Amino acid sequence: MSTGNGNGVHIFGVRHLSPGGAMHLLSELDRIQPTAVLIEGPADATPEIRHLVHRKTRPPVAILSFTAELPVRTALWPLAEYSPEYQAMKWAADHRAEASFIDLPSSVMIALQEKRDLARKQRPALGDVPTAEEPDEQTEPLSLEEREELFSDHQHGSLYDQIAKLAGEDDYEMYWERSYEHNLNPDAYREAILAFSEQMRALTEEQEKIHATVEYAYNAVREAYMCRKIQDAIQQGHQPDRILVICGAYHAAALRTSVHIMTDEEMKTLPQRPTRLTLMPYSYYRLSSMSGYGAGNQAPYYYELMWQQMKSGALDELPHLYLSSVARHLRQSGTHRSTAEVIEAVRMARSLAALHHGSAPVLRDLRDAAQTLLGHGDLAVVAESLAHINVGTSIGHLAEGVSQTPIQDDLNRLFKELKLGKYKTTVATDLVLDLRENRRVRTEASAYLDLNRSFLLHRLQLLGIRFAQLKSSGQEQASWAEQWVLQWSPEAEIQVVESTLLGETVEVAAAYVLQQKLEACTTIAEASRLIVTACECGMVTQLENARQTLQRLAVDNQDVIQIASAAKGLSTIIQYGDIRRVQTEPLVPLLEQLFMRACLFLTDNSQCKDEVAAEMMSAIHELNTISLDHGEAVDESLWLHELQQLMSRDDLNAKLSGFACSLLMERNVLEASQASAEVSRRLSPGVPAELGAGWFEGLSQRNRYMLLSRISLWEQLSDYIDALEQDDFVRALVFLRRAFSTFAPHEKNMIAELLGEIWGVHAEQVAEVLTEELKAEETKMIDDLNDFDFDDF
Amino acid sequence: MSNQESLHEVLRQSAEQLYAHELEALRQTDTGKVPAGWQMSPQAVLTFITGGKAGKVDITPKYIGNRRLVEMAIATLVTDRALLLIGEPGTAKSWLSENLTAAIYGHSGLVVQGTAGTTEEHVRYSWNYAMLLANGPTPEALVQSPIMRAMEAGGIARFEEISRCASEVQDALISILSEKTISVPELGKEMNARKGFSIIATANTRDRGVNEMSAALKRRFNIIVLPAPDSIETEIEIVRKRVGEIASAYDLQAAVPAEEALHKVVTIFRELRSGMTLDKKNKLKSPAGVISTAEAISLLTNSMALAASFGSGELTDEDLAAGLQGAIVKDDDKDRIVWKEYLDNVMKKRGADWHGLYHACKEINQ
Repeated sequence: MSTGNGNGVHIFGVRHLSPGGAMHLLSELDRIQPTAVLIEGPADATPEIRHLVHRKTRPPVAILSFTAELPVRTALWPLAEYSPEYQAMKWAADHRAEASFIDLPSSVMIALQEKRDLARKQRPALGDVPTAEEPDEQTEPLSLEEREELFSDHQHGSLYDQIAKLAGEDDYEMYWERSYEHNLNPDAYREAILAFSEQMRALTEEQEKIHATVEYAYNAVREAYMCRKIQDAIQQGHQPDRILVICGAYHAAALRTSVHIMTDEEMKTLPQRPTRLTLMPYSYYRLSSMSGYGAGNQAPYYYELMWQQMKSGALDELPHLYLSSVARHLRQSGTHRSTAEVIEAVRMARSLAALHHGSAPVLRDLRDAAQTLLGHGDLAVVAESLAHINVGTSIGHLAEGVSQTPIQDDLNRLFKELKLGKYKTTVATDLVLDLRENRRVRTEASAYLDLNRSFLLHRLQLLGIRFAQLKSSGQEQASWAEQWVLQWSPEAEIQVVESTLLGETVEVAAAYVLQQKLEACTTIAEASRLIVTACECGMVTQLENARQTLQRLAVDNQDVIQIASAAKGLSTIIQYGDIRRVQTEPLVPLLEQLFMRACLFLTDNSQCKDEVAAEMMSAIHELNTISLDHGEAVDESLWLHELQQLMSRDDLNAKLSGFACSLLMERNVLEASQASAEVSRRLSPGVPAELGAGWFEGLSQRNRYMLLSRISLWEQLSDYIDALEQDDFVRALVFLRRAFSTFAPHEKNMIAELLGEIWGVHAEQVAEVLTEELKAEETKMIDDLNDFDFDDF
Repeated sequence: MSNQESLHEVLRQSAEQLYAHELEALRQTDTGKVPAGWQMSPQAVLTFITGGKAGKVDITPKYIGNRRLVEMAIATLVTDRALLLIGEPGTAKSWLSENLTAAIYGHSGLVVQGTAGTTEEHVRYSWNYAMLLANGPTPEALVQSPIMRAMEAGGIARFEEISRCASEVQDALISILSEKTISVPELGKEMNARKGFSIIATANTRDRGVNEMSAALKRRFNIIVLPAPDSIETEIEIVRKRVGEIASAYDLQAAVPAEEALHKVVTIFRELRSGMTLDKKNKLKSPAGVISTAEAISLLTNSMALAASFGSGELTDEDLAAGLQGAIVKDDDKDRIVWKEYLDNVMKKRGADWHGLYHACKEINQ
C-alpha cells in the first residue's frame, strides 16, 4: 500500500496540529520502518531536531526564525505534543532513523514571503472569482504578517465554507474534525486526505496560475525544493521505499506525482535574507490566539485530550472527559451542576453527532450540549469554562541552553554578572536593592552591583518581560532603595525570545522600545515619565532624546497641572540622579523653562471651577516645593510674585487664592498685618458665603499649626460667621463643614478651644460639648444640610 | 375534533394536516434509522423543519434561521429528554414545537395550554365525577391529561406557556419527567410511559405574569433559547412565507404584499425592536410592548384583510399604516410618542419611497 512517488518514496499528507494525523502517522511509521523521515519544515532547522526530541523538551514549542537586520521579519513553526511532525521526529529518534526538514531554508522562506506580500499589495482586486490564493492555509505555518492577511481574506474562507456546507456542517472546523480526526480506520485517513488535497488542487490551481502567479510560483518553488531534498536522501543511500515524507496535505499530491526537481543552479538563484533560527517555548494560549492557523488552533487542550484518549485507545470517552471537566470547572467557580446533567450532555452530544452521521461528537457538538445542559440554554454561563478547557494553560519547556537567541545569551550573561541567577525560579522572591555606592568593596563592579541590577530590572520592565515587579517602598528610603519581587515563568522566557526582534541585547532592545515610545509620545506628562524611565534604566542617550521631546512638547503647553507634574519628575531626577550616576545637568535648563511657563500661566489656569481646584492645588504645591528645592536654578521671586497675584485677585478661584495666601504665610513673605488684612478682606460681611468659606477652605489646606497659632485669624472667622444672615449661614456652613472635615480630631479640639477663648467660654466646657454624642435633633439638622440645595451655582 | 368536520371549516389547520403530503413523502423516502416510537428518522425530521427535498417533493422550510438550534432540539428528543424552548414572545417557539411534534409523532394535538388557572389535574389526570360517584374509581371514570395520553401512546405532549402556570403546578412535571410514570393510587395502578414519550414545553423569558421555574424542573429539561432572527433577510423570508401560507389558508381575497411592503414592515420592526436604525447611526426609543416577527406576520395579514374587505384588494399604504398603528401603539400615550418620534426622525427622512407610508401613518397617529 505505498503511496510512493515515481521512485517509490512514501508520502504522507497531514494537517499540522492534528492528533488524528499523528496517530495514523505513527502506525504508518511502524509499518514502513523508514530509515529516513523527511518532514516539511525549514531545512536549516534540521540540527534543532535533536533538541526537539530531547527528553527534557515539553511541547508546545516553536521554531522561530527571524532576520538579523531591520526590518525584522519572522516565521514561526509551532509544534504541540500531538503534531504529526513532532511525533515523527520522536519516532525517528527512538528507532535510529534519520529525521530532517526538507522545506526551503528559513532565509529563503522569509525572502520569498516579502515578495509575496509585495505581490499581494500590487495585485488588483479579483472581483468575485473564487480563487483560493493560499490553498494551503490550513496546512502551512504562517508568519505573523501572513496570518493577518488571511484573516481579512473573505474569498478564501468561502471555499472552505462551501466544502463544509456541502457536507452539511456549520463550519469547516466541524467538517474537518468529523471527517478526518475521528476516522481511526487505518489507511482511510491517508487516502481521504490525499483525495481531498488532489481535488482541492484541481479546483484552485488553474485559477491560481492566472490570477495569483506569485502564489503559484511560491508553491512550485517549495515543491521543487522538497523533491530535490527527497532525491538527495535517495542519493545518500536510503532505499526509496524506506523513506517517508511528511508534508502538508496540499503538497502531498504534488510530491507524489513528482514535480520538477530543483537543480543546483536554481538553488543558487533563490533570494535570501540572512536569518537566525532558534527554538522557543510556546504556550497553548498563544497557539489558540493564532487565527488562521491549522487544526487545533482554537482548542489546543481539547486536541491534547483527544490525543491522549487516542493513545490509550479510549477515544470514545473523550466526551465524558471533556464535559465532566467543564462541569468541574463550573463547580469550582460556584455554579453547581449535577452529574446527571453531565450524563445527559454526553447523550445529547452523541445524538447531535449521529444527526451528522458522525462516529463521535466534535467540539461544536460538545459545546452545544454543554450550553443546553450545563448552561441551561445560556452560553454565557459556560463560556468561561469552555474556554478554559479548550485552550488550557500548558506552557512548553526546553532543556537549559537550547533556546538561544542573542538576547537570551545576553540576559543569561547579565544574570551571571549581576548574581541574579538564583532568582530565576518560579518561586516569587523579594530583592531589596541599595542603589548607593558600596564603599566597603574594592571593585567598581561590586560597588555598583545593586545599581546595575536596578538598571537591568527596569529595562526588563520596559521590554514587557514579566520577571520583576517593583513594590512601592517606604518613604524614608525612597531615593536610594528599591524593593523588587522576582519571579521567573515560562511566559517570561517566551517574552524574552520575542524581544529578540527588538534588538540583540537587553540594552539595545530597551533603547529601541523607549525610542519608539518617545516618538509616539504626545503629552508632556508622558514625556516626563519617559525621562524618568530613561533615568531608571540608566540609558543616557535616550535621556537626552527624551529631554528634547519634553522640551518640544512643553513649548506649546499651557496647562499648569501637566507642566507641574512634568517638572516634578524632572526635579526628582535632578535631586537624586547622582544616585543612579546619571548626568542631570542638561535637565536643569529644562526645569527652569518648565517652571517659568508654569509661573506665567498660573493665574490664567486659576480661573477654574472647584472640580479642578484640587488638582491645581497639588500642582501649586509641587511648584512651590520645586521653588524651594531648586531655589538657585528657578526664578523664585517670579513665583512669589505670581502667588501674590493669585492671592490678591478676586476674579480667580477663591479656594486657590486661599491656598496661595497660606503658602505665602508659610514662607513668611506675608507679614502678620498684611495677612490679617487679607483675611478680613476675604471674610468681610457681604462676601458671598461660598466665596468666603471656599477661600477659608483653601487656606486651611496647608500647615494647620500655623493657622492654629494665629488667634486673630479665628477672631476674624468668628466675626464673619456672626455677621452672616440665616440663609447665608447655612450656605457657609456647608463649605466650612467640608473644610473642617479633613482636620484630625485633636485639631478640631484645638479650634474649639481657641474659639472658646474668643467667646469667653471655658475651654473644657467647649471640649465637652463638642465631643458629646449628637442628639437626634442635631443629627437631623446635619442630615438636612446634606440635602442642601445649591440652586443657582 | 370529530371526523365529520371537513378540513375547510377548521379555522386553523394543525401542522400535520397542513403538511400532510410532505410528511408522507418524507416517510416514504426515509432511509435513516427510525428511533422507537418515532414516525421517521431524525434526519428526516430535520429536513421537514429546515427544508429540502424528499424524492421529488419539495419540503418547505418551517423554521428559518438557525439550523443548528433545530439539530439541537432533535438531538434532545432522540435521547428521550424533555425539551424546553425559551424565547421572547414571537420567536416561533410554539410553531417549532408543533412542527417537531407533527414530524416525530404525527399528531400535535396533545397540548396542555398553561395559564395561571392551570391545575395539577390538567397535568396528571382528573375524574368524571358523575361516573366516579356512581361506580367509584374505575378506569372508565378516569379523565387522562394530554400528558398521560402521550405516555400511553408513546408520543409527544406539548406544554405551552409553562412559565405561566403556578410553580406548584409546574413541579407536578418533575416526577413525571424523571420516573416516566404517573401513578393512579385510586385504581392501585400506574401508567408507564411507552418508548417515544417526551414533552416539548415552551416558555417566555420576559413578559408579565410569568413564574420563575424551579431549578429541579429546569434540570429535567434540555433548554434551548430561540433568538430573534439575526438578519433582516432571514426575517423577511420568514414573514413572506408565513403571510403567503396564512393568506391561502384564510382565503384572503387580497394580493400577497409586495416585496417593498414586506421590507418596510420588517425594517420598522427590527429598528424599533433593537432601539437603533439598521445602519446603526441613530438611537431610537423602543415601544413598551414586544414587537416580534409573529406580530409582523399578523400585521400584514390584517392589512391584507382590510384591503380585501374594504379596499381594492391591493395593499395600500393606508392599510399598512392602520396595521402598524395597532401593532406598535399598545400602551397608548407612551407608545404613541415613540411612534411619532420614529415617524418624524427616521421615516420622514427616508426619501420618496417611504413618503406614502409616512403620510398615512402620520394621519392615523394623531
